[in-house]
Amino acid sequence: MRGQRFPNPATIYALEEKNVSQLANLKVLIADDHFLIRQFVRNTLQESKITNVQTAADGNEAIDLVQKAYDVNQPYDIVFLDWNMPTISGLEVLSYFRAKQEYLDTAFVMLTAESEQQNIMKAIKAGATSYIIKPVSPSDFSKKLFEINEWIKRKRQTSQAVRG
Amino acid sequence: MDRRTEVQVQTTSQPQLALDDVLAKEISTAVSNALRETFAVEVVPGPFEVGEGMVSLVGDVSGVIGMVQSELEGTLTLCLTFETVRDILPQIVGKSVSITHEMAVDAVGEITNMIFGQIKANLGQRGYQLKLGIPCVVSGKGHFVSQFHRGRYMIVPFHLDGQLFQVYVALHADNSKHSLS
Repeated sequence: MRGQRFPNPATIYALEEKNVSQLANLKVLIADDHFLIRQFVRNTLQESKITNVQTAADGNEAIDLVQKAYDVNQPYDIVFLDWNMPTISGLEVLSYFRAKQEYLDTAFVMLTAESEQQNIMKAIKAGATSYIIKPVSPSDFSKKLFEINEWIKRKRQTSQAVRG
Repeated sequence: MDRRTEVQVQTTSQPQLALDDVLAKEISTAVSNALRETFAVEVVPGPFEVGEGMVSLVGDVSGVIGMVQSELEGTLTLCLTFETVRDILPQIVGKSVSITHEMAVDAVGEITNMIFGQIKANLGQRGYQLKLGIPCVVSGKGHFVSQFHRGRYMIVPFHLDGQLFQVYVALHADNSKHSLS
């Protein structure tokens, strides 16, 4: 492999640290009826230094928490939604908030075992920021987090530009 | 070729699911992926077994889901012991946390969802259009899972640190649908 230049490991480490620190301020809600998945996501977020994390065990609770957080001016940046939950499904929660102007900058991410193409399309059409199929490895989940964070940044820049 | 088979060929444009190495491979892949990616545990699939007649699995927590494909009806069951669940969960809940019965039931429900969702998606890409029922979890120390059906079954065993758990699939063709049409 002569002539090929590899980045200095210290540079890579510094870049990763910088990327992780970008995520640390995110406020996240995990809505899933399974304790195990809530814990898995919480652990993975913690590895990205995201500690401002709340959980909901069904769709109703998710709606309440998202609205209350907005009302006290501390909205969530990312809401992870399982598809099949008691009371209200994740897709219904997504559609409910996407119909409201004030949540346009919030990333709603489906995190579900529903892997059929037609369901993915349904969620994207309803306004899902991203769609993650379970099972997902912590490293793939972290990659998605960076993409979602980029989406949030772009969305906020656009909103600021519109507001002037 | 009898009349019923002719009808089947004319009405079935997709490959028909069978208890063969295609299905066994999908099951092995789905189980291994789900446990590796979510729980960071490596399981070793064993050689699958196909047979006929009633078989009872014995376990402590089982995830069961119904499955249909045109004229096929079946059930998929994931059957584990509490010991196996205790080996799987610490990566998520922490090594110092004692695994409760509720945690085990919750975990097997979600593992069942992930495994069978993945099997359905992967087989869907190969042209098999499966429909899955609502999964349910059965729990109780040393319970039996017995399938009453007219067809054949497949068992795919998995090994994890000396523990054995199994995925059981029962399938039979519901030819009455064609007889009625």
